[in-house]
Amino acid sequence: MMSRLLNCVMVSALVLSFGLLSDVSGQEPASGDFDRRDFSGIYLLDDSVSEFASFGPDTRPQLTPRAMEIVRNRIPVPGTAARSHPLSPDVSYPHESNSPEYQCNPLGFPKILKNGEQVEFLMFPDRMLQVFQWEHRIRYIWLDGRELPSGENLDNLGPAWYGHSVGRWEGDTLVVNTVGVDERAWLDRPGHPRSLYGRIEERYRRVDSDAIELELTLYDPLNYTAPWPGAPKTFHRESPENYTFYGWPGLFSGVTESICAPMDEVDTYNEGFRNPGALGPGE
Amino acid sequence: MAKSAAFLMGILALAVVVGPLEAHHGRGNTYDMETELTLKGTVSEVSWRNPHVVIYIEAEDEDGNVVTWGFENAGVARLARLGYGRNTLKVGQEITVVVNPSAAGAPTAVVVEVILEDGSIIMSRRRGGNPLD
Repeated sequence: MMSRLLNCVMVSALVLSFGLLSDVSGQEPASGDFDRRDFSGIYLLDDSVSEFASFGPDTRPQLTPRAMEIVRNRIPVPGTAARSHPLSPDVSYPHESNSPEYQCNPLGFPKILKNGEQVEFLMFPDRMLQVFQWEHRIRYIWLDGRELPSGENLDNLGPAWYGHSVGRWEGDTLVVNTVGVDERAWLDRPGHPRSLYGRIEERYRRVDSDAIELELTLYDPLNYTAPWPGAPKTFHRESPENYTFYGWPGLFSGVTESICAPMDEVDTYNEGFRNPGALGPGE
Repeated sequence: MAKSAAFLMGILALAVVVGPLEAHHGRGNTYDMETELTLKGTVSEVSWRNPHVVIYIEAEDEDGNVVTWGFENAGVARLARLGYGRNTLKVGQEITVVVNPSAAGAPTAVVVEVILEDGSIIMSRRRGGNPLD
C-alpha cells in the first residue's frame, strides 16, 4: 500500500515537473529576459546546413585507411557527390544507394539533426531530452555528473543508434559528448563513417530568447587523421502556430506524425512509386 | 463534364528554377527537371503519408485512355506547417498540376505546382511552398 502511494506521488511529481519544465504551451520569455541555461521549447534547425559538415574539394576530411574501406562500400544518396569522398560510388537513382535510411533504419546521431522537422528540448535537473518529430525519437543527454563511457564500460554498453551522451555546463554553454553510436548509422548522407569509439562534442549556447547555437566536432582517430569540425547550426524557436493543428498543440499531432514506417517508406513509396519512376514501367 | 476535355499535356521546355533535389531522398536522375508537364485530371487518391505525400490523378492521354498519374510532394509535417492537410485536395476534385515527369517515362512525377479550378495556385514548389526532403 505504502509503495503504491509512493509510486503515485513520484508519478505525480514527474508529471508536474514535466508540465512546468516543458514549453508546449508556447509561452515564450520576454526578449532579453531569459535563462541562458533553459533551452526548453520547440525549435527548427536552420535548414540550410548539412547534417554534419560542409566542405569543398580542398577541405575534405582526411580519411584513414579504415575509413577509406568503409567509404568504398557505401553508396551515397544521389546528388550528394559533391560532398562525398571521391572513393564513394556515384549513382544516378535513389534505389541504387545503400543508405540505411531508405529502409527506415534509424538516422542515428548526428544525422537526425538535419531532417527539416521540429525538435523539442526538455530540461530536467539531471538530464536534457531532445524529442525529434522525425522518427518520434527521444535522445537522452545526462547531466547528473556521470562519466562518459570508455574502455571496457563502453564495450559492455555497446553500440546504440543515438550513442551515450553526457553533458556538463561550462558557464552558460552546455557541452555534450557522445560516444558509442552504432557504426551502421552513417554520419551524413554522403556516407562518412564514425566509429563506436568516436566522440562527438556538441556545444550549445542560447544566444537569445529564440535561438540556440550549436557547434560540434568529431574526434575519431580510427577514421580521420584530425578532429573534424562540423558546420555551425542554429535552432530557431518555432511559433506556436507552426505546431498547432486543429486546436492540438505539440509535436506528433497526427497531421505531422513523422515516423518512418517500412510499410510506408519501403512498400508504398519505394516500391510503389519511387522505383517505377526511376526504372520505367515494366523494368 | 470537364473530364471529357480533361487533358492538357504540354511540354513546356522552360528552365525550371525550383531548387536542388539533394536532400533526404536525393532523387538524382529520377525526374526530368528540364521538362514541365501540365496535366489536367481528377484526383483519385490522396496518400497523405510519409516519406512524401503522393497525389494521384486520372488524366486522359492523347489517345483518350485514362492514365493514373502520381506526383510526389513534401512530407506531411512540412505540408502541414504550410497550411495544407489531408483534405486540401479531395477525391473527385478537378485540378491542373504542373510537374517534372519521370525521366524513364513512367506516369510518376514531382510537383511543381497545383492549379485549382478557380485559378489559384497551391502547393507550389516553384514558390518554395512545397519543399522536398
